[in-house]
Amino acid sequence: MALPPVSFTLEYPYTRTVGPVVGPFLTGLRDGRLFGIRCRGRVICPPIEFDPETGETLAHDFVEVGPGGRVESWSWIAEPTRKHPFQRPFAFALIRLEGADTALVHAVTAAGPEAMAVGMRVRAQYRAERTSAITDVYFVPEALAVDSYVPPGKGEVGITDHLISLVYDEPLTAARERYAQGLLAGRFIGQKSPKSGQVFIPSAGYDPLSRVLMTLADDVELPPTGTVVGFTVITPVQYYGQKETEPYIRASILLDGADTPLGQQDIRDIPAAEFRVGLRVRAAFREPASRSVDDFTNRWAGTGNCIERWVPTGEPDVPFEQVEGRMF
Amino acid sequence: MEDIAIVAFAQTPSYRRYPDSEPALLMGLVNAILAETGLERREIDFTIAGSCDYLSGMPFAFISNVDAFGAWPPVYESHVEMDGAFALFEGFVRMQVGDIDTCLVAGSGKSSPGRPREIFPLQGDPYYHAPLGLDPVSMAGIQAQCLLTAGKACERDFAEVVSRSRRDGQSNPYAQVTADVSPDELLKEPYFASPLRKHDLPPISDGAAMVLLARGERARALTRTPVWIRGIDHRIESHHPGLRDLTTLPGLEIAAKRLAIHAAPIDTAELCVRYSPEEIVLREALGLDQGTRINPSGGPLCGHPVMATGLTRVVEAARRIARGDARRAIAHAASGAALQQNLLCVLEGGA
Repeated sequence: MALPPVSFTLEYPYTRTVGPVVGPFLTGLRDGRLFGIRCRGRVICPPIEFDPETGETLAHDFVEVGPGGRVESWSWIAEPTRKHPFQRPFAFALIRLEGADTALVHAVTAAGPEAMAVGMRVRAQYRAERTSAITDVYFVPEALAVDSYVPPGKGEVGITDHLISLVYDEPLTAARERYAQGLLAGRFIGQKSPKSGQVFIPSAGYDPLSRVLMTLADDVELPPTGTVVGFTVITPVQYYGQKETEPYIRASILLDGADTPLGQQDIRDIPAAEFRVGLRVRAAFREPASRSVDDFTNRWAGTGNCIERWVPTGEPDVPFEQVEGRMF
Repeated sequence: MEDIAIVAFAQTPSYRRYPDSEPALLMGLVNAILAETGLERREIDFTIAGSCDYLSGMPFAFISNVDAFGAWPPVYESHVEMDGAFALFEGFVRMQVGDIDTCLVAGSGKSSPGRPREIFPLQGDPYYHAPLGLDPVSMAGIQAQCLLTAGKACERDFAEVVSRSRRDGQSNPYAQVTADVSPDELLKEPYFASPLRKHDLPPISDGAAMVLLARGERARALTRTPVWIRGIDHRIESHHPGLRDLTTLPGLEIAAKRLAIHAAPIDTAELCVRYSPEEIVLREALGLDQGTRINPSGGPLCGHPVMATGLTRVVEAARRIARGDARRAIAHAASGAALQQNLLCVLEGGA
């Protein structure tokens, strides 16, 4: 049975300084006011730092605009995304505010597309909870506007936060899937390049040395024995969320017959003083029911939760010269 | 200016969901181009790729992509977080130095793992637009409404672009979404981002495109049908929609003028029409008339592998010239919302 698609969330919490022009604009939004900036006889809203024609820095000469305005263009968004200001159908519109000579792009909430028209009048409404962001305001048809008191905040807005949070769903590639299924079955499945003869585990599905795509026919099973080719001893720092308390080892292990090592192997029961490059080890798999590969992605795959421990075999060490060049 | 020609090109089909990795998408194209020209990888002097890590959510995916070009010998390469057509621009400029003879240009992307309408707002203004989730579909709807208000188009014009493009796509083996459907039928569909309907939008696609550039005599030695890049230019409109007339593209008009695109007949124009109204805006900005065949491939409405869509326009135009179906063509690529950034390239056949 195929493994479920890999699902993950990628987040970048941005904290941005706002500068001398966006700052006063966002301060205005927080306080329930809209501002444009003067530019050679025109008023540009939202305000920008530079003259769009000449690139000259604009003087910080702000003009209060709105709260009413006129729709210059609009589009009714039948299926909003999670990132839109409203989770029900709404319109994005170009809105020219009273006193401004340019239009602002923003959201208009209305009963439906039949309530929207080019030239219609709209009015700014403010969110009860404002976060010093462009989303503090939105617009409604003028007849539906309710002017409520917006209590001014303290000081100037200097920072605006924007959490970027994106979700992804992707099936594992065929080579990664077979590697994962192998681990779940207690086996190591790699791929041998038909061109260079190099054996990759885990394989990305291609040989980057000889530029050849590999298929099921190139799969090879590797033994559970190998050699330590690199390691680091990690002493945990007690940060928030840290679960480790005692030093532990992360090792790279080159399986016999492989040309690329398995990275990030967890070593808990071999004392650091005895651990060394060249040490011969054997994988002891977990019981089938407790194996998992939940942390696999197409970008990175270790050995999941499939291996209980790496056990020294007692064989003589492999001389350093034989593993040099395969350490990673 | 150095004479630079496209001497080989390749593209993948446009896939709704390509099951393998992005390097795998590219590797097949690298091998096809090397096989066609008989070049060894070590004879590629410079490599430049366009891709975007945000699409599939893998930081440093553009580094993995270098695997496709072969890990050995070391690759002399560069990357742009833009469509491969903009990589072509950099490759073309790099070749003007005159010290290298060959340059491989790639564009690739897998949009299928992510949600493009949630990712693209991040390329907008981070203060005024990104927090609104202002996506290109919504901006295309606003641009379309501007065309209607200005009397430059009616909804039927949009449907006609879709009908013609999707029908032309039927003979394009790389196309993803094609149909033989009349404008009347299309106009019966409900709105998605009014006045746009779903069919006015491009499909979500995975794919890649690639071209090999060569200089002067080297180009003539590598192919009997070089496609010469007679000029390339790109221009940026304001990223504040309120500062633009969304029905015009003054920047692109400057590019067209400087490239003297009308100095000789333009047989084919491959335009980056991701939303059907964009064709109306582009046709006017470029001054194209009935003498020019627009998007015989079906264009991006039939397949939109983001980061390769623009370079695919170059490939499609070059293919028609190499095959003898056109003598002179223009290829256009775009980036940003509502055609904010535009690249234009003039291609010509002949030894």
